[in-house]
Amino acid sequence: MTLLSLQNLTVRRGQCPVVDDVSLTVSRGEFVGLLGPNGAGKTSLLRGALGLLPAEGRSSLASLPPLARARAAAFLPQGREIAWPVSVEVLVALGRSPHGAADPTDPAVNRALARMGLTAFRQRRATELSGGEQARVLIARALAQETPLLLADEPVAGLDPEAQIRTMQVFADLAAEGHGVVAAIHDLGLAARHCSRLLLIHRGRLVADGPPREVLTDAALAEVFGIKGFHTETADGPVFQPMGLVR
Amino acid sequence: MKLILPLLALLVALLFAASLLIGPAGLGLGESLRALFRGEGEAMVLVMREIRLPRAILGLMAGAVLGLSGAAMQGYLRNPLAEPGLIGVSSSAALGAVLALQTGLAATLPLALPLAALAGAGASVLLVLVMAGPRGGALALILAGIALSALSGAVTSLVLNLSPNPFAAMEIVHWMMGSLADRSMSHVWLAVPFMVAGMAALLTLGRGLDALTLGEDAAQSMGVNLPRLRLVLILGTAASVGAAVAVAGAVGFVGLVVPHLLRPLVGARPSRLLPAAALGGAAMLLAADIATRLIAPDRDLKLGVLTALVGAPFFLHLIWRMRRVEA
Repeated sequence: MTLLSLQNLTVRRGQCPVVDDVSLTVSRGEFVGLLGPNGAGKTSLLRGALGLLPAEGRSSLASLPPLARARAAAFLPQGREIAWPVSVEVLVALGRSPHGAADPTDPAVNRALARMGLTAFRQRRATELSGGEQARVLIARALAQETPLLLADEPVAGLDPEAQIRTMQVFADLAAEGHGVVAAIHDLGLAARHCSRLLLIHRGRLVADGPPREVLTDAALAEVFGIKGFHTETADGPVFQPMGLVR
Repeated sequence: MKLILPLLALLVALLFAASLLIGPAGLGLGESLRALFRGEGEAMVLVMREIRLPRAILGLMAGAVLGLSGAAMQGYLRNPLAEPGLIGVSSSAALGAVLALQTGLAATLPLALPLAALAGAGASVLLVLVMAGPRGGALALILAGIALSALSGAVTSLVLNLSPNPFAAMEIVHWMMGSLADRSMSHVWLAVPFMVAGMAALLTLGRGLDALTLGEDAAQSMGVNLPRLRLVLILGTAASVGAAVAVAGAVGFVGLVVPHLLRPLVGARPSRLLPAAALGGAAMLLAADIATRLIAPDRDLKLGVLTALVGAPFFLHLIWRMRRVEA
């Protein structure tokens, strides 16, 4: 079943298209990694798809009324903003507000905290946690929304290796349970290892779309990122390591 | 923590009663209540129903308005330094009042001053909405508000500067200090509908302000209609604060200090802060107004002077504590 469909989505900043004529669909069970260099248009693509930026073309999410959209897709923005010193459980419970009340005792809040390994933190003030812990709390908020689709903008940036792998596994588990996840990721190794499908964005255009080994080709890496990499298949799955520059 | 709202409500009720029972007329408790509720004793009825009751009601309402709109403004801008006057409503309402005083209109028509202040507040809201756009962001709103405040302040100074009549200038200066003395029930009937409507609008914003804790993108993705929230905030603040300034003058610091003081007591949740700040603001203004009567009964100590005198050092103390936590 399709959770997100974009048809010829174009987002402009002034005259310049930062997302250029992108068409794609995301279905249940997919963990999609959104790859591309800085400024490629990953954030604009996610925000345009949600209707947070004015866009041309069609997005199945942007055409929904705000509350219906909030029940169809959760969004984890790149900026990690926590304005007030609320407790972790109150913050995570905000994810329940599209479904009625932001109640910290909601079972969905417990599930989200448990998934992110934050149950012991629930009474702590969110603003007093470390940056990486705050990032995990914010991911838990998006999980608590329990939407069919999750859009996450650089969810694992700045996390320690354990939290990175845990987060990627949580997203892969969500996909296995029938949700869809789209995450903008810079770590190509994590993306190759955990995502079921990769989208490669270059100068606003979608230049590759498919399973990791078909997207992370030598030619695409050189063209888009200007790097070369080492990949191999191991018993534990694919391994990718960027090795050096080509330009 | 769950007791905070009932406790604040009790405090407000006690202060409201105290405001009714304390005054230069020196009435006894029994005769005050008989005069208020049963209309016994002609002079006392006049004192209770026409002098103290409007004063207490306006203190309660203006304080609630300032506390609530301060909490809403801080929640929307996610900044503890925001206050209701930030969008230029207070200074524009004050300018309207000053013009009414200067032209002598206030002396000829009893309600000309509050009406002119309301007109000033309304004009400022239209200007802010035009300047900051119906869908603009928070920054445009703040900048438009600051520019408008500066403009209104400058015109007010110009009026004082060129005032040919020293008595009018004196009256203007005194009015700008803020006071609840000598207000009548007609002030109540004029201002309270605007205050109630504005507060009702602001109290609906809780869910959206909670979601804004995580920033504008996250709030919108959680189903908050930000342009609508911003419009309700501006209109609610303008109606309620405009009316408060129209009847009480410029009373500073309540909208800044009260939300700041109560935030830790409600777990920092903007939605729970809104009603708490309304009650806290009412309590603070009633207490300050009682204090003006007790400290200097025959010198007409101005309410706004007292709130700033007490509020500013208190705020410095909060900053001092915050500095140590942040260090």
